[in-house]
Amino acid sequence: MVAPLKSLAVAALASTMLATTTLGALAGGVLRLDEVAVGEIDPAIASDYADSILMFNIYDTLVLPIQGGPGHAPHLAKSWEGDGTTFTFKLRDDVKFVSGNTMTAEDVVFSLDRMKAVGKGLSYLFANVDKAEAIDPTTVKFTLKTTYAPFVASLVRLPIVDKKVVMENLGEGEGEMKDWGTAYLTAHSAGTGAYKIVSHNPQEETVMEKNPDYFLGIPDPAPDTARLRYGLEAATVRTLIAQGEHDIASQWLPPEVIKALAGGGAQLLTESGTGAFYVKMNTTKPPMDDVNCRLAFSEAFDYGAAIKMIAVTDTVSQGAPSTGAIPVGMFGANPADQVLKRDLDAAKQHLAACKYKPEDFTLEISWIAEVPLEERFALLMQANYAELGVKSEIRKMPWALFAEQVSKPENTPHMSQLFVNAVTGDPDTLLYGMYHSSAAGTWQSPEYLNDAEVDKQLDAGRTATTPEGREEAYSALNARLMEIAPTIYGYDRQAVFAASDRVKVPALSDPSKAFGLDGMGFTFRLMEVAD
Amino acid sequence: MKRTFAILTANPLSLLGLILVFVVVFSAVFADFIAPFPEHSGAVVDFANFNKAPEWPYIFGTDLVGRDLFSRILYAYRISLILGVVVLAIAVPIGVTIGLVAGYLGGRTEYLLMRMTDVFLSVPPLVLAMAIMGVLKPTLANGMLAVTAMWWPWYTRLVYNITRGEKEEGYVLAAEVIGASRAHIIFREILPNCVPAIVTKMTLDMGFVILIASSLSFLGLGVQPPTPDLGSMVADGAKYLPDSWWLTIFPGLAILVAVFGFNLIGDALRDILGAEQ
Amino acid sequence: MKPLARLLAKRLVTSLIVLIGVSMLIFAIARIIPGDPARIALGPNATQEQIANLRAELHLDDNIVVQYGYFIADVARGDLGISLYTNRPVTADIAQYLPATLELVLVAGIMMVGIGLPLGIWSARWRGRAADNLIRLVSLLGVSAPSFVWAVILMLLFAFYLPLFPIAGRISDSYAIAPVSGFLLVDTLIHGDVRAFGNAAWHVVLPAFALALSGIGQAARLTRANMVETYDKPYIEMAQSYGFPARRIANHYAFRPSLIPSLTIIGLDFAAMLGNAFLVEAIFAWPGLSRYGVAVILRKDLNAIVGTVLIISATFLLVNIIVDLLIALLNPRIRYSQRPA
Repeated sequence: MVAPLKSLAVAALASTMLATTTLGALAGGVLRLDEVAVGEIDPAIASDYADSILMFNIYDTLVLPIQGGPGHAPHLAKSWEGDGTTFTFKLRDDVKFVSGNTMTAEDVVFSLDRMKAVGKGLSYLFANVDKAEAIDPTTVKFTLKTTYAPFVASLVRLPIVDKKVVMENLGEGEGEMKDWGTAYLTAHSAGTGAYKIVSHNPQEETVMEKNPDYFLGIPDPAPDTARLRYGLEAATVRTLIAQGEHDIASQWLPPEVIKALAGGGAQLLTESGTGAFYVKMNTTKPPMDDVNCRLAFSEAFDYGAAIKMIAVTDTVSQGAPSTGAIPVGMFGANPADQVLKRDLDAAKQHLAACKYKPEDFTLEISWIAEVPLEERFALLMQANYAELGVKSEIRKMPWALFAEQVSKPENTPHMSQLFVNAVTGDPDTLLYGMYHSSAAGTWQSPEYLNDAEVDKQLDAGRTATTPEGREEAYSALNARLMEIAPTIYGYDRQAVFAASDRVKVPALSDPSKAFGLDGMGFTFRLMEVAD
Repeated sequence: MKRTFAILTANPLSLLGLILVFVVVFSAVFADFIAPFPEHSGAVVDFANFNKAPEWPYIFGTDLVGRDLFSRILYAYRISLILGVVVLAIAVPIGVTIGLVAGYLGGRTEYLLMRMTDVFLSVPPLVLAMAIMGVLKPTLANGMLAVTAMWWPWYTRLVYNITRGEKEEGYVLAAEVIGASRAHIIFREILPNCVPAIVTKMTLDMGFVILIASSLSFLGLGVQPPTPDLGSMVADGAKYLPDSWWLTIFPGLAILVAVFGFNLIGDALRDILGAEQ
Repeated sequence: MKPLARLLAKRLVTSLIVLIGVSMLIFAIARIIPGDPARIALGPNATQEQIANLRAELHLDDNIVVQYGYFIADVARGDLGISLYTNRPVTADIAQYLPATLELVLVAGIMMVGIGLPLGIWSARWRGRAADNLIRLVSLLGVSAPSFVWAVILMLLFAFYLPLFPIAGRISDSYAIAPVSGFLLVDTLIHGDVRAFGNAAWHVVLPAFALALSGIGQAARLTRANMVETYDKPYIEMAQSYGFPARRIANHYAFRPSLIPSLTIIGLDFAAMLGNAFLVEAIFAWPGLSRYGVAVILRKDLNAIVGTVLIISATFLLVNIIVDLLIALLNPRIRYSQRPA
């Protein structure tokens, strides 16, 4: 009974589609994807996954990660040299902004200054940069305050903005630079990117179209128009894809929904290797200040059930079993077959050695309201620890509240669940922010860890200039982190995107084309969309 | 009272209401005995049986961590009823008192009290409760507080209108003439005349409080897991439509049944005790 | 018309007083929210210095009365501050999202009146018969479930299983309608694009109906109750005994007088839909003010919370004034007497 009605509806749909010649002439060539709200297009404010997708398409950076391998390739820069403290880049001279202005060293300097002055988003990555100077129109020199080996990697997070356009559009504000153009740049783009903004509504949708003058040229099969929609419900995305009205779902769909989509013929795209799921314990709050209690909770965590929970199909999962503090594939990671397992007896022994008795405390387990999967992990832990005789209560926290609460150790819950990624792809940006004592009390570091050995190895990791030296430092770090267990290392994360088969995304389906950087797989110019 | 009950049972619709409310209250009170899996109202996970469509022994299916939905709905009724009773028990006396005082005293007191009431009434109720829940920790007690804060003004309005009419009536004037105290006139003379309207509204409101509370928890501002709550169940389940339809449909119907039952009785009471307005 | 003008002036003044009260209430609520809005706004990696600067900029270190003073001064200039959630002026956000919500609520209001009133009239005319019982049962059912439950059920039935309606958004991607009023149903007609109008109307049906269902039930129940009451009046009985056609009696003699009390409640219900839109917008991905409101409340975005609540309350008051005026127009007795505000 359903089938004829369905075809009727499809016919009705088709007739409305046919009628639409106003803008829909290029019905093919449109890419539709979604992310959580809101989309932020100001490079100095952009921070999350949705923002990253926008940045990688409407702006360019000096370098790009090499597809399928470690290291970085020239992009806006032609070449560079550096010694760990100063880095000099030669720029291309044939790159034009969407405005028609030529990109020069001035723009690079301005982009860095602006990033640091506005001070939001990922600007912390550049806190260590003392200054950038334009030596000549195609040469720019960065001077760091202290040696930082992976500096080149952080440049993938410095979108280059059009200085002239921004200066012409300064908004209200105090001082010479007024608002640094934030009012303008949160609504317009001023980049060199392969795509330019057609319309932008931070809560609803950003529409982008090909930039015909892109300096690398854009292959024909790449989408002509991209629509990044925000805040769609899981059920909506699921139906839109099934009805051919949507192309790539966000990674935040629950595994069951991705499973249902895969069952209906959707392809599964993946992105992995840069992050993990962590349950972070506040080491300043009893009973978590006793390492034996922390070890007990680590051992009692049901790693197997967690892996089962995130499985999408027999072959694809939202994660791989964890082997330790560092995800497999990064410097210092343990071998992939040394997976962590639940050991209830060990947990009981540790708990017995802990100076706090289970009847004397109630654990507070938080979960981030925006990530429904975490509620299930919270329930899993509650059940796991009930087996140890430990009481716990679950607290749902919206992201913004969580990020604020963890700024004080006494407000930070016993257990915080977090997905953390290396924002530049380098292990330093994953681990330093989580475990260095100087970085305590941010959303990544609700452990409030203060351990001299950890600090030492983290510093060694960012100053060592050879791969061997870094491997050694991070291996030692991994061992120490397993010993003092500030965190339950849940699983190595893999983002899974359900997609219709009219799109081809090599960077998210072929490991030899993967960028190893979150969100960069969504470089639209490298995708193909069938008409 | 007996007569009212007799009329209630005579009408098929109000009889249906009585039955529904009885079923809801009974399931809430005796959840421990009826629920096939009473432990599923708490911290239990069973990943061997998660996300199962309705089948024996899970007649309403299981949720995403393998808990029996039927058992959880029974326990959720408990929360809903407690919430409804407590909210009304606090909101009604407050609202009624303010309404009586404003209506009887008049003048500046009336103006001040009624404008204050208007302030509360002119924020859409759900928005007010959301704002309050946004400030507080989402617990059952705070949820009740938020709903109460938006509920009392309706009783003030209702009682105020009645009082304004009643205070010109002969019996009130007579009491004033013989020098009865204000408190006596307000609570002993006027209040009894408001009771039928109040009772009717309370019965109807029992349903609406459940409804509003479920709306709050639908928005993520209700009681926290693992405590079962109908609104959150619908909200959480809606992500898994249409494949896991049982996650939303059964809790949704559960809300419908309870509210429908109270409304049927409230309707009948209104007919019996006289119009509300 | 003079008394009507006086009534309007009086209502406007009381509404303004109430609105000031609302602003104080919501301002107080917003400022006691735990958490540092400056820190939340600047994001997880801000330095102490940046936080201190923003706190100063937002006047967060002054006492609450002074803060309220700044706030009122800003509001008087039409400035509601910057939303920390979208990084845009709150007024810009509201201007963008409010029309979508109003459009949804207005269509739902039309459904409520257009379906609810006739149902109530029929029900009263066929009092005691099967049709009456059926209508009563259905309208009570409509009232008995929250709009989000209806939204889910309607979506499941008419967007998933029978894909007759779209499940999300206001209009299909293929239409690019430059906003004039923000109301798509109006803008499409301004641009003379009938197909786009049809498409937008097709999108609004399900969410509006989900939102209207409880209102339809409420309107039908009230109209029935009021008409039944008037049916018992002597002049109706007389008309009946003269053999006037039943339809004429229903429409002319019984309906008119019962319209007034129904309208009052419908006005209130209509306003309540502004709040219920919160639930329906979430499910149908309707880019309206309610969804924005939920998002900013969850993120403790003070300026946006205050702005959203103020605008919704103002709309709510405005609707009630319009309803009062309508009633006054319909009923001379009320027009000339003093209504309690």
